[in-house]
Parts: sequence; structure tokens; C-alpha cells
Amino acid sequence: MMLAVIWLLPLAGAVLLWALGPQLRERSGIFGTAVVLASFVLTLTLWNAASEPGGVHVPLFSWIPGFTLGLWLDPLSLLWTLIITGVGGLIHFYSIGYMAGDRAVARFFAYMNFFVFAMLTLVLSDNFLGLLVGWGLVGLASYFLIGFWFDRPSAVAAARKAFVINVVGDVGLMFAIFVLFANTGSLAYADVFAKAAELAPGIVLVACVAIFIGCAAKSAQVPLHTWLPDAMEGPTPVSALIHAATMVTAGVYLIARCAPLWDNSAPARELVGVIGGVTALAGAILGLAQWDIKRVLAYSTMSQIGYMIMGVGVGAYEAGVLHFFTHAFFKAQLFLAAGLVIHALHDEQDIRKMGGLRTRMPFAFVAMLLGTLSICGVPLFAGFYSKDAVIYGELLDGHPWLYGIGVLTAGITAYYMFRMLFVAFFGGDRSEPAHGAGEGGEHGAPAWIMRAPVAVLMIGTVAAGYLDIGGDNSIWSRFLAPDFVGANLLRGGGPRVSDLVSSAIVLVAVLIGFAIAYVRYGSKAALADAPARLARESSTVPPVLVRGFFVDDLIGALIVRPAQALGTAFGRFVDPLVIDGAVRDTALLAGVLGLFTRALQTGLVRGYAIVIVVGVACALAYYAFAGVVR
Amino acid sequence: MLTRRNPLIVLMAIELMWNAANLAMLAFARAWLNNAGHVFAFLVITVAAAEAAIGLAIVLATFRRARNVDVDEVASMRG
Amino acid sequence: MIAFWLLSIGLVVTSVLTVTARRPVHSVVYLIANFVMLAMLYVTLSAEFLAVIQVIVYASAILMLFVFVMALLSTSTGPFSVGPDRLPRFAVPSVALVVVVLGLIVYGVSRTPAAIVPKAGVASGPAGTANVFGSAADFGAALMTTYLLPFEVTAVVLMVAVIGVVMLAGDAAPSATLGHHARRRRGPRVREPIAKARRPVEKGSAR
Repeated sequence: MMLAVIWLLPLAGAVLLWALGPQLRERSGIFGTAVVLASFVLTLTLWNAASEPGGVHVPLFSWIPGFTLGLWLDPLSLLWTLIITGVGGLIHFYSIGYMAGDRAVARFFAYMNFFVFAMLTLVLSDNFLGLLVGWGLVGLASYFLIGFWFDRPSAVAAARKAFVINVVGDVGLMFAIFVLFANTGSLAYADVFAKAAELAPGIVLVACVAIFIGCAAKSAQVPLHTWLPDAMEGPTPVSALIHAATMVTAGVYLIARCAPLWDNSAPARELVGVIGGVTALAGAILGLAQWDIKRVLAYSTMSQIGYMIMGVGVGAYEAGVLHFFTHAFFKAQLFLAAGLVIHALHDEQDIRKMGGLRTRMPFAFVAMLLGTLSICGVPLFAGFYSKDAVIYGELLDGHPWLYGIGVLTAGITAYYMFRMLFVAFFGGDRSEPAHGAGEGGEHGAPAWIMRAPVAVLMIGTVAAGYLDIGGDNSIWSRFLAPDFVGANLLRGGGPRVSDLVSSAIVLVAVLIGFAIAYVRYGSKAALADAPARLARESSTVPPVLVRGFFVDDLIGALIVRPAQALGTAFGRFVDPLVIDGAVRDTALLAGVLGLFTRALQTGLVRGYAIVIVVGVACALAYYAFAGVVR
Repeated sequence: MLTRRNPLIVLMAIELMWNAANLAMLAFARAWLNNAGHVFAFLVITVAAAEAAIGLAIVLATFRRARNVDVDEVASMRG
Repeated sequence: MIAFWLLSIGLVVTSVLTVTARRPVHSVVYLIANFVMLAMLYVTLSAEFLAVIQVIVYASAILMLFVFVMALLSTSTGPFSVGPDRLPRFAVPSVALVVVVLGLIVYGVSRTPAAIVPKAGVASGPAGTANVFGSAADFGAALMTTYLLPFEVTAVVLMVAVIGVVMLAGDAAPSATLGHHARRRRGPRVREPIAKARRPVEKGSAR
């Protein structure tokens, strides 16, 4: 019952905010935040119950007799719920400051609450149908929030793009659900997973691939990743919550949840691992050509999720999920800190126009620095533990190529993150907004509102990884053990390298990346020459990077343009000829029939008399031959 | 009835037909010794009389309108 | 027997003559002859009452109507003008149609099951006595008992007919006949010939 309350509270919040928005206005932020934090607190109270075998199961209602939909809180969904409501609550709080003064504040918080509700639906559901519903609603919430400032055409286009690509994923997921239902007769996780081992390999493979199409769309994996960079059109808190910490991780959740299926299909795991690796690498490469601070973070998100997918794909579920956990903290922190900078610079997002913010905005700098250190996997920070766990997992589970990709990407990550840091925060200021930036209150909101959540997140950024100390006996592993029973059987098959050696290799890659970034952007010589160097670099970036490996163009040519042509053809030909034609022709038919029957109405008595006689003759004939004479 | 243009002739032909039916009915009534034929013939005479009267009235009315009683010319209800 | 044959031939001949006579008045005369011979035939069929009715109603009243109408039509304007008959052209098809219909009737009749048992108590006897088939008494009894409803309905039909005829043909009467509804001139009216689009009929406005 408590679970249902946790689930529905944000929905109530969203509805109330939507209805009473004009009255609440500035106070809507407090209300929205309180709702989400209440859910968080309530979830904490269920912690113990969730960790027991079987978790907390709340059947809701029987849709058709035999189909019971309900909620299920077990370690996996508990983890996601805590992040959604916890980090979500912090971001709500931050938004009170960030969105202050915006004319549609209530609508913003209504949408944010709605998103939290949708995401909870997704993770708390105990069956595939609820999952699908949550999946779709989350896409809808994303559409609302990306296009929040709907008077910007770029925002509207980005929202539409995100939604359409998500729909592709929805179709894949639906197909998977069909396959699973047809073969197991049930939609509930418990039933499907119990039968997972008995299904034919081909069926499992098809289901897994279809599920992964959904994950690829939602989690921005290649080739369905193109919506994520554009999604940065939304307000920064939105980017932090949806496109860093939670929604894009729905794919990771799904794969982890369906672990029993994945345990039974090696080819599916290969596929997922490879795509995850490709995405991680591609995201990193594209990240090093970006000038917009949020786009850098967007590509880095894509890359890090690639890591997570790699992890859960090969069977290293705990590693992948751990990376999700730590990533939620440091990515949210990075985005919120970026938001601090953007806010202070009056919505300037181009890092070429920043500079020298280290001295002017020390708090933001520290936050960014901590986040960067964590994401690069520097020891002692959370990211170190999770990233290394993932990369090491590749090795353990027998995927040396993916291991190599993981190491390489770590190096590139270090490079572009520190590049961003150096360019934006070091050196002299390069523009008027940067010169005037300060950390006083902006737009009438006190600065502490925006800084406090960031401070809280910093704790997680540093410490979250410590939960995994101890390998298979760590708090983390024991916490998640009930969910991943079969995973341990997949270990083995790779070279017997200890985890310390693996971490050392990764660290070397990171240091190399840092060094290159320092030489190019951070050294004294580089900083002095900054404007000229940056200008030169801007003009020499190879177009393949700028255009995102031309994936957007490819999709446009292969899919978008033919679809548009089809639509135009239909509008020009089918609609007027066939559909309107049918209506017109019916009218014509009526007219033609009328013309014929008109000939009978001669007005001549004699004609009518003839008709009567003929009719009588027919009646007589009938009686004569078929005759009923009573 | 179908061939003449004068409506009066047409009406007379109709009367002939009524009478023919009457004859048939009476003949069979006699053959089967059933009174129903007689009764029905009586009713037929009645109705035929009424119909003749009305028909003639229509002819008169039409003639007043059109100055013409030719069956083929009075086709104003055409179409 | 001889009577039957003579009468039959006479009936057929007069029928044909009625339809084919050149002048309408001749048609009326032939029709009168037809009806009278028909009445005689009815008598041979033991339908004496009906024979009498036939003469009274049909031969005299109705045909009188015909004669009067012809008279009226002839005096209003010039002579009766009707176009040339289409008799020659339509003769063959009409006769064919008629033969077909007749054949059907005969065939149908021949297939009906045989007769109903004659009623008890009916015997032949001099006309006029009760309970004799075809007599007035017998007929009257049947009319008033078994066939009472059709009898009443017939009364209604006649009433309707009378009203109809008055409405249709009685318009030439002066306005006093129709009361305050009438708005018409006296005497024969001068009308425009029929045109396709006409102003509303005065007859209709009298209602």
C-alpha cells in the first residue's frame, strides 16, 4: 500500500500543479519538490522490506481475469526508485532557483512531477505491460520537457525528434512483449522469467533483440542516439534529471531486469556489448569536437551509458548498475554546475566565450572539478570504482576487444572533459558575460538554493563507489544478489588478470588523456594564446565530427525523406482521387440512377397503364406456376 | 384500353374489364355453388361505379385545365 | 345452351366494337348493348339479383354519366380533338399481351383444386323464393351476415367517391356553393395553357 502511495504521489502533484498552476506560480516549485522528496522518504522506509526475498509486491488490479498488474519493489527497483526520487528531488529543489522568473514555472514543475510518476511506473511495475506504459509516458514527459520553451523552433524540433525516435524503440519493445507473451502466456515478470530457461534459443534471441531496440532508443545508443544532443534544448535541470540520471538509464534497467533472458542467449549479449562499446567510443570521439558545454555533457552521457550497456550486456550486471548509480550523482552534478555557469553568464553556453571562471565562480569550479575527476575514473572518486568494474567485467567475461574499447574510451573521456574544464574555467575571460560573472543571486533567487543540491550531490560523487569495495562480498553485490542469481555463472573465459592490473592500465590511459588536454589547453603557453588557438581549432574541426559521423544525415536520407515523400504522394494523389473520389462517385452514381429511373416517369397515362398490365401479368404468372390458391 | 387516346374510351374499356371479372366470378360461383362470388360481384359493381365517377370527374377537371383530353398530350407530370 | 352461345358471341363483338369505334358516342351505344347482354348471361347463371343490379346501376346510371360528360366536353370548346389513334401500331403487341394474360389466368385456374361443397339447403327453384341459390333472399342474407364488413366498407368507398367527384368536378359552381373559401370568377374561366412552371392552382387554394 505504501508502495502505491509512493508511486501515485508525484501524479497527484502533477495534476494539482497543472490545475492550480496560475494560483501557485512561484510557490509551485516548493510544492513539486516536497512531493518528490516525500516519495523519497517513504521509499527509505521500505528499504528493509524490499531487501527480503521476494521484495514488496503490491498487486493492483486484475485487468482481465488472470492478468494482474501490480507494483514490485526489489533491490533493483528500490535502487532506481531511490535515485529517481532522491536525485530527482534535489534537482527539483535546484530548479526552484534556476527556473525562478520564468513565466511558466508551474507548468514546469507539473511536467517534472509527471516525469517522476512515469519513471516510477516504469521501474515499479511487476509486469511488461506496466513497463510499456511507463516507457511511453516517460517518452511523453521528455517531449514535454525538451520542448518546454515551445516558442523556440529548435526546441520544438528537438522534442519531436526525440519522441519519434523513442517511438521506434516502443515498437521494438512491444514486439518483444508479443513474443514473450506468445511463448509464455503471461505478462508478469515472475512468470516469464521462471520460464526463461525453457524457451527456444531463437525465441529468446528475438525477444532480446527487440527489447534492445527499445533500450537503444531510450538510452541513446547507436544508431538511435541522435536525439540526445538535440535534447539539450531543454532547460538544464531537465537535462540533468532526464537525460543524465534517469530516463536514459531506463534501457539499462530493462536489461538488468530481464537478466534471466539475457543469461540464456549469448548472441544477444554479444550484440548488446558491441553496441554499447561502439556507442561509448563514438560518444567520446564526438565529445571532443563540441563547443557547447551542454553538448559536451550530452555526448559524455551517451558514452557513459554505453559503458553501462556494455556492462549489463555481457553479464556484468552489478558493474553496469553500479556505474548507473555513480553516474547519476556525478552527471547530475556536472549538469547542475553547468547550469550555475550558464545562469551566471546569462544563458551563454559556448565555452569559447567563457574563461577565467575559476576565480570568479569558485563553487561551480569545484563542483565541475569533482565531477570531472569522477567521470574520468580517478581513484578515490566514485567513478573510479564503477568504471573499472565495468571495464574489468569485460575482461572477465571474455571480451578482450570490448576491454580495449573501454580503456581507449576512458582515455578520450579524460581528454575531452579536461578540455572543457580548462577552456571554460582557466585563463583570462574571453567575453563580457564571463567578465561580469559572479556568484551572487540571479533572477531574484538566493544562490544557496541552487548550490545546496549540488553540494549534496558532491558527497555522492565522491563516495558512492565505496559501496563496492570487496569484490563479490561488497555491500553492493550483496544488496543486488537476489536479482542476479545466474550472472555469476558467466564469469570466466578471459585472461586471468587481477583487477589491480586492470585498473592500472585504465589509469594510464586516463593520465595520457589528461596530459594531452593539459598541453593543448591548460598549460601556461596555451592559456596565454587561448583566443587565437580556439579560433584556429574551431575552423579546423573535421566535418565528420561536427556532423556526428553523418548519422543524422543518413537517417534523414534513408528514412525521413522517403516518409515525407510518401506522405506528400498520398496527399496529392490518394486523398483526392481515392477517398474524395469515393464520395464524389457515390453522388454521381445516385445521379446516374436517377437519370435512368427518370425515363419511366413519362407522364403518359398510357405508359403507366402498360406498366400496370405487365405487373398483373407477372403476378398471374406467379400464381399460375408457383401457385398458392387457397 | 392501351391503344385509344380518348380518355372516355379508356374508361369504358376499364368498365368492360370490371364486367369481365364479374362474369368470371359469377360463373364460378354457379359452378361451385358458393355465394361469395355473388357478393363479391356486387361489391365490384359498386366500386366500379365509384371509380367511373371519379375518373370522369378527373377527365372534366383535366379538360378544364388543358383544353385537351388527349391522353398522350396531357403529360405534364413527365419527369 | 343456345342462349349462352348467342350471348357470348354478342358480348365479344360488342366489346371489340366499343374499343374500336371511331366516334365516342358509338362506343357508348355498344357498351350499353354489352351490358344488357351480360345481364342476360347472368340470368342464365342463376344470378338473377345481380342481373337486375347490373342493368340498373351499370347499364343506365354509369353510362348516363358517360353520355353527359361527353356532352359537356363537346360544348365547352370546339369539337373533341384527339390525335389519331395509335390503334394500328399497337394492335399486335396489345393483343399478344392480352393473350398471354388470358393464358395465364386460364392456366392458373385450371390448376386450382376443385370446388367447395355446395351449401346445404340450396336448391334450384323459381327465382324469388328464399334459400334458392342466386336469389335475392339468399344474396341478401349472405351480404348482411357473413360479408357485413365489406358491405360497410363499400359504403365508405361510395361516400369518398362522392366527395371526390364533387371536389374535382364541381368547381364551376358559383362561390355560394363553396362558401367563403372560394375566390373565383363566375362562368367559364379563361385559363392559360399548361406551362411547366405554374403558379399555384386555384383549386388548391379553395381548400
